[in-house]
Amino acid sequence: MSDLAFIVAAVVCVLSAGLIVSRKNPVYSVVFMLPFFLGMTTIFVLLNATFLASIQMIVYGGAILVVFLFVIMLINLRPEELREDFSMLSWFISALAAGLLAATMALFANRGTTNDMEVKFASAIATREHGAIFGSIESIAYPLFEKQMIPFELASVLIVVATLGAVLLSKKRV
Amino acid sequence: MGFDLPFNVIADGGGLMNLKGCLILAGVIFSIGAWGVVARRNVLTVLISLELMLNAVNLVFASFARMHANMTQSANNATAGENGQIFALFIIAVAAAEAAVGLAILITYFRNKETVDTRDMKELKQ
Repeated sequence: MSDLAFIVAAVVCVLSAGLIVSRKNPVYSVVFMLPFFLGMTTIFVLLNATFLASIQMIVYGGAILVVFLFVIMLINLRPEELREDFSMLSWFISALAAGLLAATMALFANRGTTNDMEVKFASAIATREHGAIFGSIESIAYPLFEKQMIPFELASVLIVVATLGAVLLSKKRV
Repeated sequence: MGFDLPFNVIADGGGLMNLKGCLILAGVIFSIGAWGVVARRNVLTVLISLELMLNAVNLVFASFARMHANMTQSANNATAGENGQIFALFIIAVAAAEAAVGLAILITYFRNKETVDTRDMKELKQ
């Protein structure tokens, strides 16, 4: 069951990623981001990262995608202004390079995963001492607010700085 | 690989849904994103491709977090598995900040130069 869901989600992810990259009009790229994020969320759920999956859906599907769409509408590119992106030669060379990169990473993933790792991966799901399931919001909260508290606070500072920077940059006439 | 352990909640670990499959999928998505960053000339598409690459890295973190979920019993670290997922959460936070600042820069550039094509962005070259 989970196997079938994984295959479907993986196919959806790869297909929509290819469409995101290859569409000439960025509006279509943003539209194809939605099935990509849905497939990614499915895979996170299958990996028992349920809280991560919900955050992925909220932040990417809810915030980042809308911001991209908003910017596309704001700068109002007319279709005839969009020039052809790549010549045939550069398209071929970059596709070849990306294929080589994928092949190298697949080779390393194939070599690097031992049977021991697969056994640990398959038998993963344990309940924690407070009765929380692995990957749930309770089991994330303890390490996040105890051990990783300083990075957590630094992330909030980063987001405040990014917000201020975005407002300043788009307000000022440079 | 049919491991039928009693405390598996969702996935049964058979067939393609294993660590290797997840890592290969992440590699393929990362390569597609890298292809978009290198080959495309529209800044918006380049930024979207960056998001693809960050998502692929998140997938790797979640896979290895699941692999380390049972470290509780062996090591003296009660939350070894969750740390990977927390790192992925931080990556999502940084990705959101990066998208906001990148798009703000893009809007400012478009207001001044009326273009989002990287072939026109060559003031430093001249």
